[in-house]
Amino acid sequence: MLNPVETLGLARRRIAEVAAVRTFVYPLAPALVTVLLALALDPIGSASWGRLGYVLAPDRADTVRHIMFTAALIEVLAGAAFAYRAWRRAGDFIAAAEQVDGLVHARQQVLTLATLADPSAPESVKAGQSPLFPILRSRVTAFLEPFDPRREFPLGLARPLARSSLIALGAGAVMILATLGLVRPPSFAQAEAAKLRQFAREIEKSSPSPGDRALASAARDAADALESPNLPAEKKVKRLEEVMREIEQQKKQSRTSPSNTGSANGASKAGSGQGQGKGEAKGSGEGEGSGEGEGGKGKGGASGSNSNGKGSEQERIELQNELAKAKAQVETEEATSKNPESNPSGDKGTAPQPGQNPNEKGLGNQPNPIGAGNISKQGAAGEKNIPASGGNEQQKADNGSKQGDTRLGEFPAPVKYQRFLKPGEKGDAISINDARYVIFRLPGTTPVGSRGTTVIDTRRPKATTPYVNAPLAPTREDAPPDERQFVPPRYRDLIQ
Amino acid sequence: MGAAAKPSPDQRVAEFRKVFSLAENEVGRVIVGYQEVIRKLLTALFCGGHVLVEGVPGLGKTLMCKTAADALGLSFKRIQFTPDLMPSDIIGTQILTEAEGRREFQFKQGPIFAHVVLGDEINRATPKTQSAVLEAMEEHQVTVFGITYRLDPPYFVLATQNPIELEGTYPLPEAQMDRFLFKVVMGSPKPDELREILNRTTGAQSHKIEPIFDPKRAPALIEEMKELVREVMVAEPIERFIIGMIGACTPSGPGAVPEVSQYLRFGPSPRGAQALILCAKVNALLDGRVSISYEDVDDAIIPSLRHRLLRNFQAEAENVTTESILEQVTRRIKRPRA
Repeated sequence: MLNPVETLGLARRRIAEVAAVRTFVYPLAPALVTVLLALALDPIGSASWGRLGYVLAPDRADTVRHIMFTAALIEVLAGAAFAYRAWRRAGDFIAAAEQVDGLVHARQQVLTLATLADPSAPESVKAGQSPLFPILRSRVTAFLEPFDPRREFPLGLARPLARSSLIALGAGAVMILATLGLVRPPSFAQAEAAKLRQFAREIEKSSPSPGDRALASAARDAADALESPNLPAEKKVKRLEEVMREIEQQKKQSRTSPSNTGSANGASKAGSGQGQGKGEAKGSGEGEGSGEGEGGKGKGGASGSNSNGKGSEQERIELQNELAKAKAQVETEEATSKNPESNPSGDKGTAPQPGQNPNEKGLGNQPNPIGAGNISKQGAAGEKNIPASGGNEQQKADNGSKQGDTRLGEFPAPVKYQRFLKPGEKGDAISINDARYVIFRLPGTTPVGSRGTTVIDTRRPKATTPYVNAPLAPTREDAPPDERQFVPPRYRDLIQ
Repeated sequence: MGAAAKPSPDQRVAEFRKVFSLAENEVGRVIVGYQEVIRKLLTALFCGGHVLVEGVPGLGKTLMCKTAADALGLSFKRIQFTPDLMPSDIIGTQILTEAEGRREFQFKQGPIFAHVVLGDEINRATPKTQSAVLEAMEEHQVTVFGITYRLDPPYFVLATQNPIELEGTYPLPEAQMDRFLFKVVMGSPKPDELREILNRTTGAQSHKIEPIFDPKRAPALIEEMKELVREVMVAEPIERFIIGMIGACTPSGPGAVPEVSQYLRFGPSPRGAQALILCAKVNALLDGRVSISYEDVDDAIIPSLRHRLLRNFQAEAENVTTESILEQVTRRIKRPRA
């Protein structure tokens, strides 16, 4: 026979479970969204602010990720705490009985039974049960016979999930806005690092040879080194030089092998290396090549575009340029940090005095012209710093003048510059023949009131008698009129 | 032959419903309409309370009371209250009697000594006389010259009050009104009911009341039923609801609703809560249940509390009735969740 008290106990447990699960669902979606955002921060960044030229610094990205993971953890923990509280609150026997009573339409009979048969009720309550209690018990048993707590109290997660989704939407928006607040325009080093990575990707994509892969990997290392705030500048330079050397080595190898200079300049990746090869390509870009490597024979067919060979070469050149720029930047920063007094007003943009040409040879904070062949050089002595062909192995790669001067990268920061002389000013004339960039600073607009001179009128009349501006007595608008109304004689007796 | 087996709780509940239904039908054979009044009258009888009936003359108040007493096999007395009525006229008095050459005082019982007493136009008697009746209602006993006389149970008083011709009357004080379990208002009969009344009272036929019980056993049986009413169970949340209801009707109470604060001087006493629960218990039994529900309480609110609310001057000036205030309270108060 059914025990109604047990059934009510089951219902109570079920109600508590449902309440706990529903409560726990609320923070679940926000936590999930937060974790997903943390995991997908890089793809999101490259698809959004990365496209607009902004960057989230790696250390900041790490911080954001940590914060997001912590937030997700807190959300889950808070959800668990609230679920526990809901479980405790919903676990009341009498409250459960009242809900069951409403469901079975027992007109408070189940509630009355629960009040009198509550397991947690004091014995005095049970002892005071009415002689009619058996009737009540049998009636409630009949009511609860078909009652199934699981069926009557379904989980019903649709509404909590919908609300949770809304909360998740809000939480996601807050997280993204907070992240956007940390996004900044990239610094030179970050931009260079990004470019190096881009090149590395392109090299890997275009040529799957082990040498190119190693090169790409080295480029990535260099990018990491460039961005690393803890790495000393010397090591950064060293790392960059290593990569540059590697590129040179690759170039040499590719030059010594004529296989890539077929009739259609087709590039045979499989035949790269030292060896001989033939290449044929039609207009559509198909080519064939075969080569013999140093260590044996190699044969390969290149069905890729005939621009592969040139493209790869071009990429290397560009990579080399980027590395050179990065190296120059690192060296400049190092020099600046070592000799801060050499350019005390550099950051403020104050123009140097005439005759103090920072581009003159021998200045300590000038980038090494040997190492940075394609860094723009300005000033009269700038031509000496122009990389001479054949002067340096690295400089040979700089053949970018065909495509214009600004193709190589960012507009340089106005750190070393000259200015035109003012009228009447004496100094060396500047030469912009070899300068790659010329920055013009337009003078600000002349204030309107600056014309003429201010003359103080000393002859104006002055007061000879001392005086003081004493305030007048305030006048009251609402003051009663100062006049008397005399009472008419016929009313005087009455008033008195 | 041994004693009769004690009936089971189920049988007792069924017997109660049967008796109540029979009494209702029997009274209904004589009284046309007023089913709700008859039900409240019988409810008060089984609760052990008294009823104050308010209505204009000629509605059949006396007949209803007498018919109920006859149907249940109880003794019936009627007292017409007048300003010159003295307490001794109701309670009884010591009279000097002579028997076997000896003179002695003997107590002569007044009309209050009956199972069912109808106090007609109770507001016409002086407060002194009224209080004598009301004391008997409360204590179920009277004391004359130091000797206490018990009133035989069941003791049921039905007092009537005429809402018109109030000149020269002594309205019942609130403290005495509080002693009535219910106040029932009898309105004018509907046209159909009036036609039926005319047919029954002006024709040759007359209905003879058949007592439900044997008059000798009736008091004991009714006392058993009153006991059964008290055994009906009440859930603790419903008790809290009733307490909240009383609090909401008290102007200085914690949960007083705005209408109560605006229009009432005093709220119901604990007797009001007792009346609510007792009436709800009878309602539950009539529905075949042994525990009360919120609906049972709702049904008892107006008859149990309407005469326990003391209106202020503003309410009287604006003609705000206690019934309308109670309806507002019922609408506003929420059933507590466990």
